[in-house]
Amino acid sequence: MSEPILQVAGLTGGYSPRRPVLHDVTFEVRAGEMVGLIGLNGAGKSTTIKHVLGLMKQHQGLVKVDGVTLEENAERYRSAFAYVPETPVLFDELTVEEHLRLTGMAYNVAEREFGERQEQLLDEFQMKAKRTAFASHLSKGMKQKVMIMNALLSEPPLYMIDEPFLGLDPLGIRSLLERLVEVKKRGSAILMSSHILSTVEAYCDRFIILHQGRVAAYGTLEEVCQAAGIEARGGALEDAFYKLVTEGSQ
Amino acid sequence: MSGADRSLESLWLKRSREFRKEVTPYFGYMAQSGFPLFVSLIVLSSAFGYIKLIRDLPSDFPITLVGTIALFLILSWSPLRSWLTMPDLVFHMPREAEMKSYLRRAFRRSAMMTSLLGLVVLLLYWPIYRQGDGEAGFGILLLFAAVIRAANLLGAWQERKLAWSSVRLLLRLLRWAANALALAVLLTSEPWQAALFLLLLIALFAVLYRLPDKHTFPWERLIEEESRTRRSYYLFFGLFIDVPTLPSRTASRAYLAWILRYIPNRHRLTYVYLYAGSLVRTEIGGIVLRLVVLFALILYWFAEDGWLSGWGAAAAYIVLLQLVAVQLGGLRHAHRYSVWRHVYPLPDAERASSLLIVDRWAMAAVALLTWLPAAIMLLLQGLVIPAVFALLAAYAQILFVRPGRLRRKLVEDAEEE
Repeated sequence: MSEPILQVAGLTGGYSPRRPVLHDVTFEVRAGEMVGLIGLNGAGKSTTIKHVLGLMKQHQGLVKVDGVTLEENAERYRSAFAYVPETPVLFDELTVEEHLRLTGMAYNVAEREFGERQEQLLDEFQMKAKRTAFASHLSKGMKQKVMIMNALLSEPPLYMIDEPFLGLDPLGIRSLLERLVEVKKRGSAILMSSHILSTVEAYCDRFIILHQGRVAAYGTLEEVCQAAGIEARGGALEDAFYKLVTEGSQ
Repeated sequence: MSGADRSLESLWLKRSREFRKEVTPYFGYMAQSGFPLFVSLIVLSSAFGYIKLIRDLPSDFPITLVGTIALFLILSWSPLRSWLTMPDLVFHMPREAEMKSYLRRAFRRSAMMTSLLGLVVLLLYWPIYRQGDGEAGFGILLLFAAVIRAANLLGAWQERKLAWSSVRLLLRLLRWAANALALAVLLTSEPWQAALFLLLLIALFAVLYRLPDKHTFPWERLIEEESRTRRSYYLFFGLFIDVPTLPSRTASRAYLAWILRYIPNRHRLTYVYLYAGSLVRTEIGGIVLRLVVLFALILYWFAEDGWLSGWGAAAAYIVLLQLVAVQLGGLRHAHRYSVWRHVYPLPDAERASSLLIVDRWAMAAVALLTWLPAAIMLLLQGLVIPAVFALLAAYAQILFVRPGRLRRKLVEDAEEE
């Protein structure tokens, strides 16, 4: 079995030490696999991601990226992942190309590779015509594309992608998914949170179902279905999810 | 310094330049208003009062208390301009390990600016201190102030890194209290005693800061602090010219929010409800509240003085009320560009009249609350006429003059769009 790139063990956390939002969350994402993080609004998906980003301090438990905690080696931890937030955040004063250059610099992408990757991404996401456009002049979907292109440009061992399909056009969604499959084949790990369960089921190898801050089920489609007490078949993720979250709240 | 370090340092400098460029025009607008004149009048009259004070200092003047308060405020205040925004979370977080070099300039700027201010306050205080029993020379006071300044900059940075807000607030309060204590000791005891005490406090805080959970780099805290500072700048410029609206901070203010429940559930009151909610919850409401408390206190002192047989307080009341009126006028921008204007099945005229209703009620409440403490004082002295006249004048303005003015401004805004 391949190395875990992201390890979350016994994570209890939240903004206030007295009111934890996450309770004993444990999972890992290994090299060459895509893991879907799913849950209702407020289930703790974004809080989990914030803990992995190191923006929140865990009350208990451990988060390791590329084998180290943030405290042990901030540089290694930080440069091991790229993050695509739920809402695109870009600098109004920079163009699409300048954002890519900034990312290239942050992740130490060599000049020649940078040029090749930049052209390929601009082409693939139909953004060539917008390469010199300022972020403030882009539509929401285009901004999301820029966020995704930046994440893909750095080619890190781990991708953390929060609700990537919001606002993307069908071609954008397809390009993103194709690229994710490709980076996965090359050995990257992907943690993706989304509400579009059919896509998550089709593309992810394993699933984490969060409910009220706890892991309600974790594993392959078979394992999740087993936890929900239903038979595994195509489209079963939605049924398993529904069963787990409605039974969990009763 | 490596090339990467230099690039981050120059990024900080670039952002600093861009901010200066962004706000320079607003300083121009401010200069065109009467504000600089107003400030110079205040400075001149304070200078006059200050010179008079140091020439013949009253024997019962609270030298230590004044020095402690003035120095403690200026030495505790430790701002930091990081220029960080949300996109930095994605684009610069991978370089967290190098961010020290990015912030180096921010620390230098903060240290220089606050030290300079501290020096000015110390220089102003020195002639007063010399007339008391204090034993320290100027050099000693300066040295202590420098140490306290540096310790506060470091302490404030440690507090920014703390993971839990409650612990951060507690430690900040403790730091401010420790500053006041250290300064009081410095101004009343022998220097060696003060030095010993200060060292003990610094050692104590060095231990305290080690105990709680901390972030390696407080990204979210710095982004929040930066956006708060930016908002304050724009709130200030907003007094002179229309400024771009930044996402405003909201506070729940339960002690005021009950008012919303008493607005009847009627179709025609939709915008009244919206504007009342905005007033109660946004920064405008916060400013108006703070002004009411401050002005009520000032007017109380004026009335207690019985200056010009009460007419002084009455005149000050009318003037100060205008300042609240200016702030409250900002409410008209609250939903100027809001999508709800076009979504709600209500005519736009309803918006203007609703704003007038909320404005009138708010002004009436402010006028009453600022009037009351002073009026009680005046009435106790038998100065009935100025007290009654002030209130009548205020209400005449609120009911008959202000609505017309506000309506004209709304029309002007609509024409600009």
